[in-house]
Amino acid sequence: MVHLLQGFADLVAEAVGGRAEILHDTVKVTVANEGWVTAHSVARDDLDLVFFSWLSAIDWANDVEAGDPLKDEVEERLELLSTVGDLTEGKRVTFSTTLDSESPVISTLVDVYAGSNWHEREAAEMFGIVFTGHPDLTKLYLPDHFIGNPLRKSYPLLSREVKPWPGTVDVEGMPDSPTTENPGA
Amino acid sequence: MDVGQDAIRHLSEVQVSVELETEDMTLNIGPQHPSTHGVLRLVARVDGERCYDVKPVIGYMHRGYEKLSEVRTYPQITALINRIDWVSGYANEIPFIVAAEKLMEVEVPERAQFIRLILTEMARISSHLIFMASYPLELGAATPLFFALRERERVLDLLEGVTGGRFHPNFNRIGGVKPNAGSGPTTRKTPQDLPAGFLEDTRDAMDHVLSVCDEIETLVAGNEIILARTKGIGILPPEVAAAYGVSGPNLRASGVKFDLRKVENYLPYDRFEFDVIVGENGDCWDRWWVRLQEIREAAKIIQQAIDGIPPSGPLQAKVPKIIKVPKGETYVRAENPKGEMGYYLVSDGGTGPYRLKIRSASFSNLTILPWILEGVLVPDIIAVMGSLDFVLGDVDR
Repeated sequence: MVHLLQGFADLVAEAVGGRAEILHDTVKVTVANEGWVTAHSVARDDLDLVFFSWLSAIDWANDVEAGDPLKDEVEERLELLSTVGDLTEGKRVTFSTTLDSESPVISTLVDVYAGSNWHEREAAEMFGIVFTGHPDLTKLYLPDHFIGNPLRKSYPLLSREVKPWPGTVDVEGMPDSPTTENPGA
Repeated sequence: MDVGQDAIRHLSEVQVSVELETEDMTLNIGPQHPSTHGVLRLVARVDGERCYDVKPVIGYMHRGYEKLSEVRTYPQITALINRIDWVSGYANEIPFIVAAEKLMEVEVPERAQFIRLILTEMARISSHLIFMASYPLELGAATPLFFALRERERVLDLLEGVTGGRFHPNFNRIGGVKPNAGSGPTTRKTPQDLPAGFLEDTRDAMDHVLSVCDEIETLVAGNEIILARTKGIGILPPEVAAAYGVSGPNLRASGVKFDLRKVENYLPYDRFEFDVIVGENGDCWDRWWVRLQEIREAAKIIQQAIDGIPPSGPLQAKVPKIIKVPKGETYVRAENPKGEMGYYLVSDGGTGPYRLKIRSASFSNLTILPWILEGVLVPDIIAVMGSLDFVLGDVDR
């Protein structure tokens, strides 16, 4: 199984000119920024990966406003991910490319996989990525006047700002609640 | 005299062939509409009886689960993701839990895997039965609703008996299922297993489900109006479906024999015999028909699982009290009732994920709307939309 996966990963990496790694049964192929659209065309046409699953990004940042910060310092960047697969044997590849955190720009995949349209709109509003050539890069979930990119690590989670977690501690137990002598009851 | 008649005829022809200046109308459907299964707004340009340039407007139910996951611990997240697709809440939990288990390299006990599988298939049945109830209703046939909802209640009662929740079971734990599964008094020393008589009741319920499938088939497949409104309507070619990421029964209705239960290993489906049901034409009728057959297949799987479940054994693998998932990334996807549901989990070794991308089936299934509704008749909007069986909670996340 692992052996087969490695063979497939190498095949994809060679075909699209990227670097392959296997992350717990997930084949991830990292390609250059410029080769993003070409890699997907090759995947669709030559490797028969016709099914477009999803597209999204990861904000690798050292300062975070919500959630736990990373343990080790990283190079600040946006990682754009997309997953495509076939419809026969269940093969799938997650493509990855690195974008500049400050001004992330990349070409759209709409001409290769029509389904990337909404996924790119989501990534655009959530991370501030600009997809050049996209037919309609308007807001998808958020209101039109919304400012900011909520899934960026620099964007605070407002509900936590208003009321810090975990809130007040329950001092009074329920009637007949377990005492400290028998906590499991 | 002849000349005069010719002149009149000519005049009338001229008048008929004059292009009438008509104005396009913009039609707003929703956000509140019974056929939208949540809050979805469609803006369509209507030219005569046909609609063009359909624009779905979504986001009315966006709850930001991907952001919320970043500030929660792994066990807390299962409570959130139950609510993504609330019609099959149980099935949503599976790929997330499996992703975390993969990173932790935890081996789940066999009995727990069987319980997961039985409950997942029950979630599929209840989700498809909702479709069996609502879809004919949207087309004007009210009777199948009573049959379908009655059986769904039977299945949900069983689900509730095990998990304590009808819609939001929150039952999976990393490493297994809730150790004190089932009703009744529980202590740590004597963990409850499945409720007494659960397996027999389930087998019985599956017989009922199978027989109600026959009843529904008679009711709907013999209904001339439904046939006329669904056959040949909203045809979705397989290559278009694939490019848009349409998955699950909608994809199989277009003739693609692809089921993640057969190719992924998130649950032990390889031990059971079941068919992957495919449609022929990819129209509304096929999408209905595929789902009906899938209920039957799911019932078959559950019956086999009841026969094969280990009679006893642990329900939970050994995991630390405070769950910390080792650093790593993975994508795990599962065949949910609505289609491919997956989680891209990025962990930094903490108690919660660094990033959790949620790939929900209904979102991608909905992206096809502008394509599939181009040029359809206005009354067919409801027929096509209903046949895609999406839930807006699953779209907006």
